[in-house]
Amino acid sequence: MAAVREFESEIVAKRSVMDDAHLVDLSAPSGLVAAMRPGQFVEVLCRVDGSYDPLLRRPYSLYATDPANDRFTLLVRPYGRGSEWLGQQRPGATLDILGPLGNAFEIRPKSRHLLMVAGGVGAAPLVMLSQRAVARGVAVTYLMGAMDAGSLLPASALPAAVEYLVATEDGSQGHRGYVTELVADYIQWADQIYSCGPEPMFRSLRQVVRQHRVTREPRVWVSVERTMACGLGACLGCVVETRRGMRTSCVDGPVFEMDDLLW
Amino acid sequence: MADCSVDLAPRNPRELRLANPVIAASGCFGYGLEYAGLIDVQRLGAFVSKGITPEHRSGNPMPRITETAGGMLNAIGLQNPGIKGFLKKYPPVWEGWRVPAIVNISAERVADFAMMARLLDETPGIAGIEVNISCPNVAAGGYCFGWDAAMSAEVTRAVRQATTLPVIVKLSPGAIDIAGVALAVEAAGADAVSLINTLVGMAIDIRRRRPILANETGGLSGPAIKPVALRMVYQVAAVVDIPVIGLGGIMGVEDAIEFFMAGASAIQVGTMIFPQPTRLMTLIDGIDAWLDEAGFQDLSGIIGLANAGMLARRTAPAVAAAG
Repeated sequence: MAAVREFESEIVAKRSVMDDAHLVDLSAPSGLVAAMRPGQFVEVLCRVDGSYDPLLRRPYSLYATDPANDRFTLLVRPYGRGSEWLGQQRPGATLDILGPLGNAFEIRPKSRHLLMVAGGVGAAPLVMLSQRAVARGVAVTYLMGAMDAGSLLPASALPAAVEYLVATEDGSQGHRGYVTELVADYIQWADQIYSCGPEPMFRSLRQVVRQHRVTREPRVWVSVERTMACGLGACLGCVVETRRGMRTSCVDGPVFEMDDLLW
Repeated sequence: MADCSVDLAPRNPRELRLANPVIAASGCFGYGLEYAGLIDVQRLGAFVSKGITPEHRSGNPMPRITETAGGMLNAIGLQNPGIKGFLKKYPPVWEGWRVPAIVNISAERVADFAMMARLLDETPGIAGIEVNISCPNVAAGGYCFGWDAAMSAEVTRAVRQATTLPVIVKLSPGAIDIAGVALAVEAAGADAVSLINTLVGMAIDIRRRRPILANETGGLSGPAIKPVALRMVYQVAAVVDIPVIGLGGIMGVEDAIEFFMAGASAIQVGTMIFPQPTRLMTLIDGIDAWLDEAGFQDLSGIIGLANAGMLARRTAPAVAAAG
């Protein structure tokens, strides 16, 4: 595991995306960004010094990294006290960040075709993974689901080589319905499937995969989200039940093989 | 540089000497290793392990934690490898460490507390035992040991007889008479007391119309409980002669100073570590700097300064000075 740091980070830039969300570019100590891997996350202290509200840090998956400039990017959508506070911070503001934390999405050396299945802000780590995959010459199909067209990630967020298909619940763009309804066509094609999003999406993903998969391949890797305190495997507040016993989503995860999860 | 060292077991020949009074609290620091890559764990006064039980425990179902105003509720359920698994894994690592490692033990039967204490007594790499008496007593129909002075004393006596290691008894804020419990465990052979453990609380998800925690109730910790903790430390320090370790909502230097002035000889930091782990280091330096600035040569100069009852007893000729 690469070294974890608690560091001061400056908001370098900030831009709107997905209706009410922001992409926030942050500075990091020299060399730290190079060690950041797709699927990993950081925990942001979403309060000013002297305030204890909210008390705990908030976890954010890495959206992109720029090692040459010691910068990384988070996707922040205001849907809780922490992310609302963070979304209001302006460029120049200093944040207290802990990370990088957790395990990562791995691309197996023999993989040639990767399928991403994203729901809402779960899109973030799969963007970084897609970038790494494309850089290695691996073909990527990125499926994203959201409530409506405005909540989708723009195609420009992904490398041009990525095939990007979307589903919206209101039918305002792409397939009308759930993103998991697009998955079946790709199961034979994909060497590995990666997913991040809300838990109901994982459940339908598991169903589709079970229906169409003949062997244990393609393997499905999901990034789970749990309320977290320490981020370092100490408090045991964020565990998930797996076939190998209780595992922390902060250190043993957030990425787990779907077949290992008991839910 | 003020002298911040402290012996938390002055009655015990084995001593529990700390270079500084900042201790990482049980349940909030894992087994120390989790933080070794982030902070200089060896600089701590000491750390207390996650609670160890006689047998392996998988803990409670999720959700186990939830944030509250100025605090958090947890119901982890003592997930741990059990005393035997623990002994194989952690003390051999700690043996090479400079920082004193204190092991927190929990059980539902007096004999199990004694069994664990006996095993720890023979194990190198362990500086002391902290006894968690905020557990249900099976022999008393699940009534919490720590709420009752006699039951707390019974556990303490059993542990005392099983080990010569320094024994700290961690008091429960659920006790109606916390000073009475403290006196009882002191008489039963405790080298020190630590307080407070979490307060039992709950939170409800009004949308789902049920408690947020799967366990329904959980332990409240964080800055929200500091006034309660401080009051109890104050009451206990006024009556016991053994060192008092204060904890409950400490988030910074001034909080720590309050606990010292209330009568604590050392402090534990728990919930603060989750959001701000590196503050453990700044807390050590900050206490030292505060003492220097306020003109104190050593930490003992401020212990109990705001506690009239403690000061009165300290000046009484028949009573040995505490701290």
